[in-house]
Amino acid sequence: MSEALLTIANLRAGYGAVPVLFDVDLTVGRGEIVALVGSNGAGKTTLLRAVSRVIKSAEGTLRFDGDDLLPLAPEAAFTRGLVQVPEGRQLFGKMTVEENLSMGAFRRTDKAGVAESFERVYALFPRLKERRRQLAGNMSGGEQQMCAMGRALMAAPKLLLIDEMSLGLAPVVVDQLLEVLTDIRSQGVTVLLVEQDVFAAFSVADRGYVMETGKIVGQGPIAELQNDPAVREAYLGA
Amino acid sequence: MLLAQILTNGVLLGGLYGLMALGMALVWGVLNIVNLAHGAMIMLGGYAVYFLFTGAGIDPFLALPIAIVGMFAFGYLLQRFVLNLIVRSAMLNTLLITFGLNVVITYLAQLAFSADFRTINPSYAGSNVVVGGITVPLVNLAAFVIALVLAGAVWLLLNKLALGRAIRATAQNLVAARLYGVDPRQLYAVTFGIGAALAGAAGGLYGTIAHLTPYIGASLTAKSFVIAIIGGLANPFGVILGGIFVGVAESLTALYAGPTYSDVISFGLLVVVLIVRPARSLRAA
Repeated sequence: MSEALLTIANLRAGYGAVPVLFDVDLTVGRGEIVALVGSNGAGKTTLLRAVSRVIKSAEGTLRFDGDDLLPLAPEAAFTRGLVQVPEGRQLFGKMTVEENLSMGAFRRTDKAGVAESFERVYALFPRLKERRRQLAGNMSGGEQQMCAMGRALMAAPKLLLIDEMSLGLAPVVVDQLLEVLTDIRSQGVTVLLVEQDVFAAFSVADRGYVMETGKIVGQGPIAELQNDPAVREAYLGA
Repeated sequence: MLLAQILTNGVLLGGLYGLMALGMALVWGVLNIVNLAHGAMIMLGGYAVYFLFTGAGIDPFLALPIAIVGMFAFGYLLQRFVLNLIVRSAMLNTLLITFGLNVVITYLAQLAFSADFRTINPSYAGSNVVVGGITVPLVNLAAFVIALVLAGAVWLLLNKLALGRAIRATAQNLVAARLYGVDPRQLYAVTFGIGAALAGAAGGLYGTIAHLTPYIGASLTAKSFVIAIIGGLANPFGVILGGIFVGVAESLTALYAGPTYSDVISFGLLVVVLIVRPARSLRAA
C-alpha cells in the first residue's frame, strides 16, 4: 500500500447516545481504490458521515492528507479535498446537467482549473456532454449517477467517497461506471467505494474491508478476501 | 376608450404589485418561509424614500437605490440573527414569528412616523403623457418599468450567476448543496436580504402613487401572497404577470362595481386561490 491518504483508527461514533461504530480501523492509500462492503445497516454510511464530519461526536483517530479531521466542520473537510457522492445521488433535479456540475465547483475560485475540470468530466462521461442542457431530474438513473460523480469531480477531490454507486442501476450501467472509476484513479483521485454489491466493488478495488454491525470483520487485498471462506459464504454466495 | 384607459392603469399598477410579490415569492421558494412581515417591509421602504425625499431633498427615484441597499441590510441581519434560528422548523412557527415581526414593525413605525397619511410628492407627480388618447401617468409608468427591470435582474441573478445557482440549488436539495460547500445560513440571509430589498423598492414606488401609513403592510402582504401563488415561485416574470392579472382585475372591478370593491377582488382571489390550489409548487424555485 502506498502512503496513507485517509487513516481511521479506533473510531467510535454514533447518533446521540446510540453507538453505531465500534473501534473501526481503515486506511486508504494515495491512488488506491478501496471497497467497503457490508449488508444494509452495517454502519457503512455512518462511517462515511463520520469521515465527512457530518456526525460531530466521534472518538479515535481520523486523519486526512496530514490533517486531523476530528475538529473540522464538514465544509472544512470538503475544501481539503474530501468529497462525497451521496447515496441516492441527490442531484439538483430542476437544474441542467451543466448547472449541477457547476455546483460541484461552487467553492472553487480558479476559473482555469474549473474549465479544465469541465473538460475532464465531459471526457470521462461523454453522455453528460451530450445532455448538458437537459434537466438532471429527467435523465435515467445511470445518467444521474454519472452526473453525481461528475459533480463531485468538479470539486477537485483528493479522495472521492462514493456511497452505493450501483444502487438501483442495471448491471451493464454499473459495469460502465466501474470502468470510469479506474479512469478517475488514473487521474490521481483516490476512491473509497462503499457498496452492498460486493461483486461489483471487488471487481475494481485494490483492497477491501468487510463491515458488520459497526465493526470491521475482514480486510485485505481483494484476492485474499475473495478466498476468505467467511466472506465467500456471507457475501459471494459460494 | 375608457376601457383601454382602465386596462392601462391596471397593467401599470399590476407591474408594481408584481414587484411587491417578487421578494415574497423568492423567500418563499428558497427558504420555505411565507413572510407575513413582507408588507411591513414594503411600508418601511416607502417611509425610507419618503424621508430621504422630504428630509434630505433626494429625488424619490434616486432615493430608491438607497432604500434598496438599506432594506437589504435590514433583511440580511434579520435573517442572519433571528429567522435563521427557526428556518428549518415547521411552517406554523415561521408564520407565527413573521406575524409577530409584522406587528412589531408596524407599531414601531407608528411610534416613529405617527399614523399620518403621507405621499411622496415630487414636482413631476402629476405629469402625464397621452398616447393615442390614453393618459399615462409618468410616475406609474416609471414604477412599471423599474418593476420589470428588477424582475429581469432577479432572473439574471438566479439563472446566470453562481450565487443564484446556489440559491436555486439550496431550494431544490439542501443536503446536496451543503455537501458541495454552500453555507445555508449565509445563503438564506442573502436571499432574505434580496427579498427585503425588493420589498423596499416596491414600497418606495408605492409611496409615489398611493398613501403611506404604518398599517398598509397587512393588506400588501395578502396581495403579495395571492400574486406569488398565481405567478408561481420559480420565474420572476411569472410573478410580474400575476401582479398584472391582479392589477387589471382590480381596475376593472373599480370601473364596473365601484372603487370600494377593488379590495374585494384581491381578497376574493385570496380565498379562491386557497381553495383551488393551496399547495401549488411551494418549493419550485
